[in-house]
Amino acid sequence: MSALALAQARFIATLYSEDACEPGTAIYRRNLFANLGGALAATYPVVERLVGESFFREAARQYVLAHPSASGDLADYGAGFARFLEGYPHAAALAYLPDVARLEWACHECYGAADALALDFGSLAHVGASDQPRIRFELHPAVRLVRSEHPVAAIWHANQPGADGAPQRIEGTDHVIVHRQGGAVTVEAVAHAAWRVTEALANGDALGVAGATADESFGGHLAWLASRGLITGFSLGREAP
Amino acid sequence: MTDTIAPQATGIGLRTPHYAALLEARPALGFLEVHSENYFSPGGPALAWLERFAASWALSFHGVGMALGSADPLDERHLAKLDALVRRFEPALVSEHLCWGMAGGRHANDLLPLAYSEEALALVAARIDAVQERLGRRILVENVSSYLAMEGAAMSEWEFVAEVSRRSGCGVLLDVNNVWVSSRNHGFDPVRFIDGLDPESVGEIHLAGHEREGELLIDTHSRRVCDEVWSLYEYAIARLGARPTLVEWDADIPALGVLLDEAREAARRAAHALQAQVTA
Repeated sequence: MSALALAQARFIATLYSEDACEPGTAIYRRNLFANLGGALAATYPVVERLVGESFFREAARQYVLAHPSASGDLADYGAGFARFLEGYPHAAALAYLPDVARLEWACHECYGAADALALDFGSLAHVGASDQPRIRFELHPAVRLVRSEHPVAAIWHANQPGADGAPQRIEGTDHVIVHRQGGAVTVEAVAHAAWRVTEALANGDALGVAGATADESFGGHLAWLASRGLITGFSLGREAP
Repeated sequence: MTDTIAPQATGIGLRTPHYAALLEARPALGFLEVHSENYFSPGGPALAWLERFAASWALSFHGVGMALGSADPLDERHLAKLDALVRRFEPALVSEHLCWGMAGGRHANDLLPLAYSEEALALVAARIDAVQERLGRRILVENVSSYLAMEGAAMSEWEFVAEVSRRSGCGVLLDVNNVWVSSRNHGFDPVRFIDGLDPESVGEIHLAGHEREGELLIDTHSRRVCDEVWSLYEYAIARLGARPTLVEWDADIPALGVLLDEAREAARRAAHALQAQVTA
């Protein structure tokens, strides 16, 4: 290792530690925890509101020590925070917290995902009736699916700026579709069947496959997705098995 | 799209709290500067906003995460995102910082000072070359504020900056506040820093506010430009000539009007410095 590489490796190790250091180094260490902690707070505002600022700051500090940043782009930081919270002893009593974090990471990904125009369904006209089961719809790149044993969508909505913090539901499973409408991240809890259809499309299942496991409102679920501009294209897959 | 920035132009750093007010007021600014990484996502509202600003103002893209002087290899994903952004918007200026920021894959997400050694010089000049090659254009690199001196210095910071520019062909983004902050923290004469640069190499100037903490000045971008930095700016303009000048504000961000005030003050100071030179 060159002198430069060695000095830099030592310096980074000092920053990501709690060892005693020079005042100048302490400034850089403070910046590091402030910048990475700030990135976590920006991505996980609902988690922060649920646990309070000082609890969050300490959890973020522990996370930073255990999970160094791997990118020069701070927007990449914090993907593992939900899993960290699962094992964080001080949050053990808040069983829903990791899934709230999962939902917030889904929102974070949704915000910056690629743009896409809604499918012009007129383009389906040339697909013959016998080929229709082979249609594979493409979902908008900003769609994210979250499923939880806790009412995470209700918790999320209740903890948006201006909301009173009291969720409409305090128990029950939530099936959530996160998507972007007019540039705004939108969190919607949907029926289990609608969620499963969306999941099947996300997995690239052709209509013949996705429809086979769905209930009688399959067409309604597709129409729901289409009405939000979340179906952006289609291709014809191989023969349905 | 406005593609060029006049030497006497002044601009402000574009920050989210000012998006709506800027589009409403449409102030006469020479340019807007953004942190490149804030627009690295493949889509979404951030890029949609930037399209709107690009329609009315010349843009400068200022990277904070390339970590040019790290012994670790350049992050190809980071470079690819910058390349895509630059090719989409074709901004008037593209800049990075003369610093390092990661080791062994661990990022500090900060602007860490380089050892001003021959080894660091060769490394960072080669990296700038690689970035310029990839982007197909010249970039500017900014001198950073520092709170400690890395061991192994073989030259002054300004000799290092000047030599990096000479070897790689990159321009210099002279941050006058950073010169002042580092000169106080390390005990050098800030005028020697400015005198040590090739005037032709300087493509842009930055101004910002800092704060004192014990023995150190900290580059916080949290307040107005101080008198000493204004004086140093006037000295720089008198020596270099007019240069596109940007006011940055990143913490405790005030109303847009305060930034516009600072940009107008920069224009007034620059005009004063050039006038004084003519009459001298």
